Amino acid sequence: MADSGMQFRNVSRREFLNYVWAGSLAIFMAASGGAMLAFAMPRFKEGEFGGMYTVGTVAEKMPAADAPPVNYPDVKFWLVNIGPEEAAKGGGIQGLAAMYKVCVHLGCLYAWVDSTVRFECPCHGSKYQADGTYIEGPAPRDLDRFKVVITDGQGNLKYETVVTNASPGYGAPIPVPTDSSFVIKVDTGIKIEMGKRHYYQGGQPT
Amino acid sequence: MTPEPFATWRRMIKEHGLIKTVFLRVDDTVTRITTGLNINDIRSVLRGDPPGKPNPRVKPHTESAIFHIWPSFYHEAVTKFYPTFRLGMLSTLLFFVEIMTGLFLMVYYTPAPGVAYDNMLKILSNVPMGQFIRDMHRLAAEFMVVAVWLHMGRTFLTGSYKKPRQFTWATGVILLIITIALSYTGYLLPWDQLAYWAVTIGASMADAAPPPEVGKAVALLLKGGPDLGAAGLLRFYLLHVFALPLGAILFIFVHYYKVVRHGHSLPPEMEQIGEDTARKVSQDKRVPFLPDVLTNELVWFGILMVALVVPIALNIYNAPLEHAANPSSTPLHTVAPWYFLFIQGWLKLGDKTFWGVIFPTILIGLLLLWPYLDYNPSRRYGDRRIALAAMFGVIGIFVVSSFMGTPGFAVVTAPQIEIGHEFMPGEQVGPIRAIPFDQMKVGTWSTQDLASIPDDAPQLKAVMEELAAATAAVPPVQTVNDKEVRYTNMYGELTITEAQLAKDSAGTLKPTLKQLVLGVHWDEQPIDPTNGQPGYFVFTFVSVDSNYSSGE
Repeated sequence: MADSGMQFRNVSRREFLNYVWAGSLAIFMAASGGAMLAFAMPRFKEGEFGGMYTVGTVAEKMPAADAPPVNYPDVKFWLVNIGPEEAAKGGGIQGLAAMYKVCVHLGCLYAWVDSTVRFECPCHGSKYQADGTYIEGPAPRDLDRFKVVITDGQGNLKYETVVTNASPGYGAPIPVPTDSSFVIKVDTGIKIEMGKRHYYQGGQPT
Repeated sequence: MTPEPFATWRRMIKEHGLIKTVFLRVDDTVTRITTGLNINDIRSVLRGDPPGKPNPRVKPHTESAIFHIWPSFYHEAVTKFYPTFRLGMLSTLLFFVEIMTGLFLMVYYTPAPGVAYDNMLKILSNVPMGQFIRDMHRLAAEFMVVAVWLHMGRTFLTGSYKKPRQFTWATGVILLIITIALSYTGYLLPWDQLAYWAVTIGASMADAAPPPEVGKAVALLLKGGPDLGAAGLLRFYLLHVFALPLGAILFIFVHYYKVVRHGHSLPPEMEQIGEDTARKVSQDKRVPFLPDVLTNELVWFGILMVALVVPIALNIYNAPLEHAANPSSTPLHTVAPWYFLFIQGWLKLGDKTFWGVIFPTILIGLLLLWPYLDYNPSRRYGDRRIALAAMFGVIGIFVVSSFMGTPGFAVVTAPQIEIGHEFMPGEQVGPIRAIPFDQMKVGTWSTQDLASIPDDAPQLKAVMEELAAATAAVPPVQTVNDKEVRYTNMYGELTITEAQLAKDSAGTLKPTLKQLVLGVHWDEQPIDPTNGQPGYFVFTFVSVDSNYSSGE
């Protein structure tokens, strides 16, 4: 293959300028690509979606312990009061939680099935306990949940779900308020993702 | 000299007379339009006469924009049904059927939630030939997916992807991906339940692309927001009617240019690897494009159109349309279209990042690079036992994966819900709605008392017998979630009431609408949240015009 075409020749001025030209075009194209991506990205930021939803007072809206979860279809969550029975089956923590209605597998809406006493997804068959603990199916983690806030009648904060990742009690149900005039609110702008299946089994992760 | 108007005409009329001049001018125009064939040449093509010398039929191939795409002759061996099975040509024809029918559908379609579904109803009920065009668009799309897959299988089978056609194969794989993407983006446009949830699942797969930041960005770009909505529908529409067809047209031309450049591959025993059969074809093996190949392809086009039109005209095929998309309710057993069932099957196996993104990407990469990885220098079947065995192995895996993608596999919910879904599904018809309207006898019919069903309602009786068998088949004691769940004495009950009466032409009141309630009962039944009664209930209305019994 030793022909003249393989011999090294010095870069001429014209060749060099053409490389510069091509290079600047490439940079221009890359910048245009970035601009196009920015253009196509929906005008939506984390936190803009959802907001504080007032469920009602404890007296009116609090489900009984271990009763079937209550469906809030417009704001996409199930309000569940985890009593001793459900806590024993799930993560071991009793209290009040709001499960985000969307299956963590592929985005279908799971539903509570009374006779089998668990959440079941109609698409790929993931199953969860009332407190969101993974039971079976292809779902990668326990159910996502929303921040629950309990205030008194004047709006003073009494309890709220821990939303700082990896801190103790992250995403766990909050204690059921005893004062029936307290107000239950759910912040659908703050979605809490549990990092794995059985998040609260075998001790809380640190 | 002053210029005279129509000088050529006047000179020719003086020379030949008016009639001959008109004929000569028409002949000249025809020759210009066909870039080389005059009226007599065209008639001789249509009669099948041997061409004159020099052959005028070659000229369109060298001179015209359209005809120069085709070679002026084919090798005799590829003009028969084997080895091409005409699959590449049929795929292309189906793509053009899609473009034409798609253009018609676009006339009555607005990509906006709330409007899109109304547009579908209008196309189906209020546009002359609207349903026909929609059925045609949908059926041709399904045919196209089949044709493209088969085309790829055939190319693999005959070893046609080997040197010098490796790049042709790679562009073909890209066309396969574009075909599937076209079909998938079109799936959302009717904005019905089927569309909404199948596409939600697909877009959530994009969400799983690693690393998480990329996956989230891709899903947002595709869906136009955190949930599928107006922005997502518009994006899918633009992809479906603009970006993807543009890509398809570009790659069809690259693909076909390569096919013509290297010649169609001959049957394996007739062509050694690395041979280029496009130019070295002896005179006696040449079949001219005009007229032989063209007329043959027109016949295939005719056969294709019959295969498309007949099932639609005979009402065997109807493009499905379910209820309008409801973002707050997922129907039970939402499934992907049949050609995506294999991915749906993989997704049930576990991690969606691996099975939904990484594994398919590896497969596509393998497919793209396969001609460069396969070092076997022979195209003959006997020398390619491992490759052919692997091909059938992969087909087997796809069949099994597709079966795993069907709703019955690994997605089982409580038996009363399964029975309700089987007999009266939220979407589609199901056996109960298919009972003829006059056999829907008003009353409450129980599987515990089949004898009371009137004899003039045989279909009602048959469905109730099926329902009795389904409830009897439920094991009375099950262990679910480590807990004993009991379904003792399960039975089904169908309550039919008249919901609306109207006077017919003779003035007598006749039922025009009936309400059907399917209840499933057992001893330990919980309270149904929809009506506060114990048991599990499914509700529906059937109109005298519904025509479910005909399969619509």
